[in-house]
Amino acid sequence: MRAVEIIEITDNCKSCDHCSSICPTGAITGKLGQKHDINHQKCINCGQCLINCPFNAIQDLNQINKVKQALDDSQKYVVVQTAPAVRVALGEEFGLAPGTSVKGKMFAALRKLGFDQVYDTEFTADLTIMEEGTELIERILRQKGPLPQFTSCCPAWIKYAEDRYPKILPYISSAKSPQQMFGAVAKTYAAQKLNVKPADMYSVSVMPCTAKKYECDRPEMIASGYQDVDVVITTRELAQMIKTAGIDFLNLAEEEADRLIGSSTGAATIFGATGGVMEAALRTAYELLSGETLGKVDFHTVRGLKPVREATVNIPIKELGQTVPVNVGIVTGLKHVDSVIVDVLAGRSKYHFIEVMNCPGGCVNGGGQPIRHD
Amino acid sequence: MSQVKGKVLKHAGQTRLMHWIHLICFVILGITGLGFYFKIITIDYIFGGIGNASVVHRWLGVVFTVGPLLYILTNFGRFSRFIDTISTFTKDDFKWLKTMGGYIPGLKGEVPPQDKYNAGQKLLGWLVIICCFLFFVTGFPMWLWRHAMPPQLLGLCYDIHFWDAVIAILAVAGHFFLAAIHPKSRVEFASMMTNGYVEAAVSAHHNEKWFATLQNDSELKA
Amino acid sequence: MNTFQEKTNLTRRQFLRGSGVLAATAILGGILAKFGFNVQARSQEYIAQRANGLYSLDERMTLRKSHENPEILQIYKEFLSPGGVTPLSEKAHHLLHTKYGDEIPELIAELKQHSHQAA
Ligand code: HEM
Repeated sequence: MRAVEIIEITDNCKSCDHCSSICPTGAITGKLGQKHDINHQKCINCGQCLINCPFNAIQDLNQINKVKQALDDSQKYVVVQTAPAVRVALGEEFGLAPGTSVKGKMFAALRKLGFDQVYDTEFTADLTIMEEGTELIERILRQKGPLPQFTSCCPAWIKYAEDRYPKILPYISSAKSPQQMFGAVAKTYAAQKLNVKPADMYSVSVMPCTAKKYECDRPEMIASGYQDVDVVITTRELAQMIKTAGIDFLNLAEEEADRLIGSSTGAATIFGATGGVMEAALRTAYELLSGETLGKVDFHTVRGLKPVREATVNIPIKELGQTVPVNVGIVTGLKHVDSVIVDVLAGRSKYHFIEVMNCPGGCVNGGGQPIRHD
Repeated sequence: MSQVKGKVLKHAGQTRLMHWIHLICFVILGITGLGFYFKIITIDYIFGGIGNASVVHRWLGVVFTVGPLLYILTNFGRFSRFIDTISTFTKDDFKWLKTMGGYIPGLKGEVPPQDKYNAGQKLLGWLVIICCFLFFVTGFPMWLWRHAMPPQLLGLCYDIHFWDAVIAILAVAGHFFLAAIHPKSRVEFASMMTNGYVEAAVSAHHNEKWFATLQNDSELKA
Repeated sequence: MNTFQEKTNLTRRQFLRGSGVLAATAILGGILAKFGFNVQARSQEYIAQRANGLYSLDERMTLRKSHENPEILQIYKEFLSPGGVTPLSEKAHHLLHTKYGDEIPELIAELKQHSHQAA
C-alpha cells in the first residue's frame, strides 16, 4: 500500500532501540547506538513506537493548523466526530486519572472551539455493527463469503493485511470503519438534512489513533463525492487545541452531542476496548438471529487484555430451528495475528468471527492517546 | 619530623594492574559516552562508525565491571583493608576537610596527620564505588533489557547514566589533577602508574598515621 | 635498600567491613531490581483503567445494543433503505462498504463514475 509519512523519528532519537521491539511490522531500522529510521513502506502508522518512546523523540503528522484554518474559514461548515476511546483518556492531559470519562466536557469544549456540529463516532460504530453484523449473518447462513470474517475497524490492521497477506483480504468484512462511515454519511445524509452543500462541509475527526490519519487520506474514501473525512487529529492534539484556546476544561459544564448522527448505545462505547467490537456484534447478532431479547448483555468471556482470546456463544438461530455454537476470536497486538491468519488460510481455523486490533488493549491504548510515562 | 630513608610499597602489582584497566576503560567509556550524548559523529567514526562506538562502549563496560570484580575476589584482603581505611573517619579527617588538606591557597590552618589515604581520597573512594555501581545498574539494563523494560524506566536509566558520567568525569578530573599535576602530590602518580613505590619520607609526611603501622623489611628479615 | 610494607593480616573489623560493602551492594542491587519489576508490572495499568472507563460508561447507558439506537433506525428508514431497516442495501453498499488491496483502483473508478452521474 501507499507509503505515507505519518510517523517520523526526529533527531532527538537517543538510539536506545526500544522502539524496534515495539513495532509490529519490523519497519524500524537501526541498531542500539545508531539513529533509528522508519521504513514507510512497511510502517502501518499505528504510533505504538511513538507512545512508547522513552524520549518523546517520535512524532506524528501534526494537523492542528488544518483544523484551525477550517474553523477560521467562514465559508466552511465544520463538523466533528470523536471516537469512544478519546473520552476516557482526554482527561489525563488535564490531570485526571486514566479512565475518567470527560465525555460531556469534551463535547462542550468542541463547541467552544467553534465546531458547527459536534457529533459522535459512536453513532457510526452502531451503524458498523448493523452492516458488519448483517454481513456476518449472511456469511454464516447464506455462504455469502468466506468464513471466518475479520473485523475491519482498525486501519493499521487493514494496511498490515494488504501488505503482508493479500490472500486474507476476502475474509475481512467489507464494512468501512466507523470513522469512514461517519465521513460518508456526514457529507450526504447530514448535509441534506442540515441544508449544507457537501462541498462546503469540512469533516474533522478526533481519534485515539495515528493510523486514522492515513485511513482518511486513502484515495477510495470518497463515497460522498468528496473526501469523506477531511482531517484527523489525535486525542493529544485536541488537548493541545483546548489548552491553547485557553478553555478551562475541568470546569466546563457537561453537554451532549448534537442529534441526527450523534446518538449512540453502550455497544458503540465499548468499541474502544479490545473485544468491544466483538461484544457489540454479539449483542446485536444474538437478538437478530434468535428473535429473543438478551437478559444479560455483558459477554465477560470476550473481555480482558490477553493478546489472543476466544469464546463460544451458543445462539438459537430461529431460521434454522437449532442452536449453533458461534466461535469467536479476539486478537489485540498485531504481533499475535500471524498464527491466526496462517490457520485461516490453511483451513484449520474454527472461528466464525475474529476481531483484530493493532494496539495492545485496543483503541484505548492507541498511538494517538496521551503518553503515559509514570 | 625525622627524615626516614628508603621506600614504601604503597600499591601492589595487582592493584596497579586493576587501576590501569579501570582507567583505560573509563577514558574510552567517557569519550564514547559523551559522543552519544552530544551526538558527536566523529567519535563514532573513530571507533569504526555505524554504531560501532556503542559496541565498543558496551564491551568495555563489561571489562570495566569484571576487572574490579575479579580484583575484589582475588584480593579480598586488600579490598577489605581499603574499605576499612576509607570508611574510618576520625577527628583528623574532619580537620583535614576543614583545611582541604592545605591544597586551597586561601584556606590556612594546620593539616592533621592522615591515613594511607587522606580524607579527600577517602571521599573519592566512596564516590567511585557509588558511581561504578550506578553505571553498572543502569548500563547493563540499557543494553540487555532495552526491549523488556517499560519506556519510563529505560529513560530513567539513561538520565541516571548520563548524570553519573558527568559526576564521575568531574571527580576523576580532580583526582587526576591532584595525583598527576599538583606539585605537592604528584609523586602519587609515579607510584600507582609504575612500580608502586613512594619515597618513605613522602609517605611519612603525607600518610603519617599509616606509615607508623608499616613493617620494615629489614626488620622482618632479622 | 630499606623498604616498608603493609601488614598483610586481616583484622576482624577489616573483614567485616569488606564483606559488608559487598553484601550491601548485592542487597541494593536486589532492591533496585525489585523496584524495576514493580514499575514494569504497573506500567500497563492505565490500559485496563481506560477500558474500565468505557465499560462503566456502557453500563450507565439506557440503550446498550446497536440495533436499538433510534437514530440508526431513522437513517435506514429515511436514507439508506427507504421504508425499512435493511442493512447491506444498495446505498449502504455504496457509502458504507469498501474494497481492499488490488480491487481499490476499480472501486475508485466506480465511485468517480457515480459522482459524475449525481452531478
Ligand atoms: C558499567 C559499565 C557500562 C555499561 C554496561 C554502559 C552501557 C551503556 C549503554 C548500553 C549506553 C547506551 C549506548 C548507546 O546509546 O549506544 C551507554 C551510554 C552512555 N554511557 Fe555508558 N556504560 C557503562 C559505563 C560508562 C561509564 C564509565 C561512562 C562515563 C564515564 C559512561 C558514559 C555514558 C554516557 C555519557 C552515555 C550516553 C548517555 C545518554 O545518551 O544519555 N558509561 N552506556
